[in-house]
Amino acid sequence: MSKTIIEKIISRASGKDAKVGERVWVKLDLVAMRDFGGPNVVLDFRKHFPQRHVYDSKKVAITFDLHIPPRNEKVAKNQQILRGFAAEEGVHLFDINTGIGQHILLEHGLIKPGSVVVGTDSHMNLLGAVGSFATGVGTTDIVSGLALGKLWFRVPPTIKIILEGRPQNGVLPKDVILYLLKFFKTDGLNYLAVEFFGEYVESLPLSGRITLASMITEMSGKIGFIATDMRIKKELSFTEDISPDPDATYMKEYRFDISKIEPLIALPHSPDNVVAVSEVEGTQIDEVFMGSCTNGREDDFRMARNIIKDREVKVRTIAVPATHSVMINLLKEGIITDFAYAGIVIPNPSCALCTTGHPGILAPGEKLLSTSNRNYVGKIGKGGLIHLVSPLTAAASAVEGKITDPRRFL
Amino acid sequence: MKLSGNVWKFGDDIDTDQIYPGKYLPLTDKKEMGTHAFEGVPDIKDFSAKVRSGDIAIAGRNFGSGSSREHAPIAIRESGIQAVLAISFSRIFYRNAINIGLPIMEIDIDTYNSITQGDKIEIDTETGELRVNGKSFKAFPLSGLEHDILVHNGLINYIKEVML
Ligand code: SF4
Repeated sequence: MSKTIIEKIISRASGKDAKVGERVWVKLDLVAMRDFGGPNVVLDFRKHFPQRHVYDSKKVAITFDLHIPPRNEKVAKNQQILRGFAAEEGVHLFDINTGIGQHILLEHGLIKPGSVVVGTDSHMNLLGAVGSFATGVGTTDIVSGLALGKLWFRVPPTIKIILEGRPQNGVLPKDVILYLLKFFKTDGLNYLAVEFFGEYVESLPLSGRITLASMITEMSGKIGFIATDMRIKKELSFTEDISPDPDATYMKEYRFDISKIEPLIALPHSPDNVVAVSEVEGTQIDEVFMGSCTNGREDDFRMARNIIKDREVKVRTIAVPATHSVMINLLKEGIITDFAYAGIVIPNPSCALCTTGHPGILAPGEKLLSTSNRNYVGKIGKGGLIHLVSPLTAAASAVEGKITDPRRFL
Repeated sequence: MKLSGNVWKFGDDIDTDQIYPGKYLPLTDKKEMGTHAFEGVPDIKDFSAKVRSGDIAIAGRNFGSGSSREHAPIAIRESGIQAVLAISFSRIFYRNAINIGLPIMEIDIDTYNSITQGDKIEIDTETGELRVNGKSFKAFPLSGLEHDILVHNGLINYIKEVML
């Protein structure tokens, strides 16, 4: 039978002809955990399976994404638990000088097209951008996965999203995914897998594909896939690839002309509360954050630099590369230098202001423009107001001190 | 499993912050977690004082959206609620509930509308049969595997007893 990407991956990893709606046991190619959530996994694993080691030490990875270096004793102890476990079990450990888990795993060759990956972050599924079935799960799942090397999954139906046309100047993948959020809403893709197609998707480098795939989570989707093409194979030196069968069955097909999209912004407190940037231009803001797993790669900062170079920011601005190697590249290209001259604060790579607990928290009533993926109530400090934008809109607004349409600078 | 209890009725979009407010995340004592179940639902007061062990929750669309933490289904179970029926569940909550052994089933909108707060409800998790006020309804039963995991009281026990 002809298969979509998810059906192909689950069939391979379960050894069964997986059909939509079925529950099957799937072999895991990688089990990941992080500094938040990971310590509970370790404690539960030791409690429930005291006699066992992890199923395959080469297929387990611990990443420190969030509070690095540790900000207090509790976090330091949590990281100690994880370092101890990594040493005992001989699993991969990416310590405080690395960055956001999914990106680190990708950079270290642990993610391949067609692989099955579970982790403790709700945005693991951005790895669908390279054709990996990665998904965020709870503690019990990770503990079970460590013991068994398998987990049960329900095979989701797949929908097809075709993105056609060329983007207007100043419109980035973030604007495109915000447009889709406005259309599908936050529960519009519940239980569903997505496959992205179309000339726009093909034109995107890894960074843009990741931005698209990462925010499938905000629509409650399981995962957003992009079939492996030559461009990605080359960029990531993949020898594997994955694509759907030509006559695979989709639950539904949607077609969007992206040439009509303008720079967009998600207003507080929901990622689908989307309007055009031009509608809210001039609104005073207090802080700008550039980074996160959605918009923390080289291309994102290159875009921002086009506006930032030789200017100064008028509000406090924090830029955080997704990984250490992204930071090195930004240093080599002089982007960090330009940002520093512009007055931007540049902490070490991490998830940073995607979650509370990182320096940069808002006071009540303060407005943040963020290139991250969620703007729920209280996410970055009680009473703070989070707005989601592209790196270009973030940069334009930072240098103006108010919400600004980036097309003014282009 | 055949279960019966009195209904607690909830609306649409009950997210994990309403089920278990984030400020209680540091708690590790499960009984104590249960005393904060549904504390964030705006129109329900003193849930933990009023809920009776064996009550059954009925909810609308998109129950359990938000964070991937397992505190939400654990707090529900520990509060005394023995099962949750909803029109739809967010996918992570759905998995977590089954994995910790909290019975859940999906129902259609007509069934949801026919049930009111305080009704006595009987459910059969295997067949999906429901009886409320002398009338019969049908929920979408869990798959064989999900039901097996439930009957073993969660994924960890299932793995120990069946798979290892
Ligand atoms: S940046 Fe935010 S969403 Fe992305 S991995 Fe980190 S915490 Fe998760």
